[in-house]
Amino acid sequence: MARADLMAAAARHRAALAAAALLVFPLLMPFKAIAVNILVQGLFAVGFNLLYGYLGLLSFGHAALLGSGAYACGIVLVRFGWPWWAALAAGPLGGMAIAAAIGALAIRTRGIYFAMVTLALAQCLYFIAYQATGWTGGENGLRGVNIAAIRLAGLRIDLVDPLHRYYFVAVFVIAALFALSRILASPFGAVMEAVRENEARARACGYDIRTTRWLAFVLSGGFCGLAGALQAIHLGIVPVETLYYTTSGLVVMMTLLGGAGTFFGPFIGAGLFGMLEELVSLWTVHWQLVVGVVFVACVLFFPRGVWGTLLAGRGR
Amino acid sequence: MNDPPILRTENLGKRFGPFVALRGITAEFRAGALTAIIGPNGAGKSTYFNLLSGALAPSEGRILFEGRDITGTPQHRFAHLGIAKSFQITTVFPQLPALENVRVAAQARVARYDIWRPRARLHDLLAEAETLLDTVGLARHRDRPASTLAHGEQRALEIAMALAVRPRLLLLDEPTAGMSPEETRSMMELIVRLAAARTVILVEHKMRLVMGISDRILVLHHGELLAQGTPDDIRRNDTVRRVYLGQREH
Amino acid sequence: MSGLTPDLLAMQAFTGLALGAVYVLLATGMSLIFGMLTVVNFAHGAFYMLGAYLGLAVLGLTGNFWLALLLAPLAVAALGMLAERTLIRRLYGRGIDYPLLLTFGLAYIIVELVRIVFGTQDLPFDTPDALTGAADIGIGFFPLYRLFVIGVTALVLLALWLFLERTPYGLIVRVGARDPEIVRILGIDIARVWLVVFGIGTGIAGLAGLLAAPLQGASPEMGNSILAEAFVVTVVGGMGSLLGAVAAGLLVGVVVSLTALVAPEMAQVAIFALMAVVLLLRPQGFFGRAGLMS
Repeated sequence: MARADLMAAAARHRAALAAAALLVFPLLMPFKAIAVNILVQGLFAVGFNLLYGYLGLLSFGHAALLGSGAYACGIVLVRFGWPWWAALAAGPLGGMAIAAAIGALAIRTRGIYFAMVTLALAQCLYFIAYQATGWTGGENGLRGVNIAAIRLAGLRIDLVDPLHRYYFVAVFVIAALFALSRILASPFGAVMEAVRENEARARACGYDIRTTRWLAFVLSGGFCGLAGALQAIHLGIVPVETLYYTTSGLVVMMTLLGGAGTFFGPFIGAGLFGMLEELVSLWTVHWQLVVGVVFVACVLFFPRGVWGTLLAGRGR
Repeated sequence: MNDPPILRTENLGKRFGPFVALRGITAEFRAGALTAIIGPNGAGKSTYFNLLSGALAPSEGRILFEGRDITGTPQHRFAHLGIAKSFQITTVFPQLPALENVRVAAQARVARYDIWRPRARLHDLLAEAETLLDTVGLARHRDRPASTLAHGEQRALEIAMALAVRPRLLLLDEPTAGMSPEETRSMMELIVRLAAARTVILVEHKMRLVMGISDRILVLHHGELLAQGTPDDIRRNDTVRRVYLGQREH
Repeated sequence: MSGLTPDLLAMQAFTGLALGAVYVLLATGMSLIFGMLTVVNFAHGAFYMLGAYLGLAVLGLTGNFWLALLLAPLAVAALGMLAERTLIRRLYGRGIDYPLLLTFGLAYIIVELVRIVFGTQDLPFDTPDALTGAADIGIGFFPLYRLFVIGVTALVLLALWLFLERTPYGLIVRVGARDPEIVRILGIDIARVWLVVFGIGTGIAGLAGLLAAPLQGASPEMGNSILAEAFVVTVVGGMGSLLGAVAAGLLVGVVVSLTALVAPEMAQVAIFALMAVVLLLRPQGFFGRAGLMS
């Protein structure tokens, strides 16, 4: 009984737990730059999971949401020369704006068609970014998205130092996790689950399926857009490949690897994926082969993912 | 007797391509009454039900609810209007606990797009859901996932979810389908209890089940309205008897 | 804009048909597999790419293009059937997302294996000697090889149509696509039908890759970008509809080709703009059944 109480408490304070884990994480990681990568990809996966895990909608176009956040941040910083906080705010806003547009079209279809249509629309954005060199730098990527240091309340925080940068990024990721936790615990969170469970019944209860999906897509765009902005600042560049469909595939893989529909799963998936990529690429340039094999094995044998399988095992 | 009808269909028809499933149904449903729609297989009962509940759009004619034309209203709006339904095939949220099934159904009245307030703060909904579960006799199963309930219990749960909409009109599509005699009896008792407080329209394949409890009966045959009236009228109706005579009841 | 004579436009539209032919082949295979197995094959682009590389391999060994044209699609079909039997089959009945995800992972594996075997560089694929040059088609001279691509596509479609409409096996496939239960009740081994259909679909994708290779060379990534375009074609044409795949494939080819004439940088975007318009006006696509998609 005490153990069940402990689990219930953990579920109630999941965002706080995640925050604690993220604060300790870089101290355990030998390479701080990878730690930042995992942080950013984890947030990206969290945004994707909101749609796939909780609403049951499989998007293969999330590259567009990450990419638009990254470009929005980069353009505000590089082309407009606005301060860092404006650039960071532009990320989620950009992600939500693009999500609103793509969502409005894509929710007209459902199931696997949704996957195909989101993929195609994201590719469209890729080609537009590829051509709009004046804004995006085209093929060469948008360079110079650098924030060397920020001043906050008289304090100067040096972002070139990897550990500082990690904690700078972590602050926003943790804030996003609190927001996500709130959304999941809100009435709308219940609606998403209801729609995932049974569309016809949800409709009969009085829920508008399309609007529910659209809103969830836009919210997902907010999280992914923030991830994009943080990634742009971390890398100092927005490569045009950010928008390519392999990015969309990556987030699907990470989420599934960790466990779709669980709070911690996407982060665990991103962590495993990041470390796998790092380790295997030490050994061979063909790390994508290993990634492909691991993913196929995961789909075949662990469809709940690492974290999801652990949770299910405990429940038994 | 002279109250305006709660629901009225005028010349309602439905075609699927060249196939005419339903034709020229003009009927009135009195407020507060329990009306059963019966007919042999393929009579158009399900089509009629799906038109009444908004699942299908009619090819012709119109539907008036409380005097208002609701033809073509999107399906999710029906709940807001005060029309709830249960499906022929059990339709619940399988992985969610029974109580949450009903709670989320009730929530649709008050909070559909609220992404920030903790839903635990909507106490009234929880209390309401518990009362409704009690009404359909499922209070002791409140924490079990809906998928683990017995067939009859899932159907009862579905009715509790329909009630959570606080409907003035409750539409039930073969609520006893696939039930054991025992389950059927308790379901019919439940329906009679529910009908005491609200308007109920019931589609039923088995004529014998509804004769004793209905205020009015509509008989469909080959997509047309064959007869309507009190159970006694229907019992005395020669055409209805002819249609049902060759038909073995299950 | 005075350069846009009717002849030039007609020529460009005809070029679009050759491009569209490749889309048609890809989308036909995809639609066939979807109609029968309800699997969206995300590895379809990878099989397309395999067709080009296996063609190169045969060409390297024998120097005979015609042999490559025959063997490469067959080899791709065999690999497709292997994938269906060993991997995809395990997932039937486990939800529609899983086969899709599996084929996505499979594409990763295939692409990387090709990189290991053939290298990461783009490889040239010579147009066979017999098909170099141009032919007068009335409105001007048109590259012979592109005519050949259109011709082969027409032949494949004709063969596929005859197979589906005129053979007992085709009848099973058509019925099975509508209601797998009936096929099972009739005592037909539906698993075999699935295997064959997956083989045909991937084989046609391999053929498309081989046919496209002389036009643009072979690269491990060639399947990635065309996958999204094949999706557009299937969505525009209507999922599961072969007629839709043909009509939409040709339309997309012509649209790309004509856009390239006036605004080359918008050619890719035009494909997706077309899809957006179709989704707004007719979400189920040209020939898709209403309600299936939306």
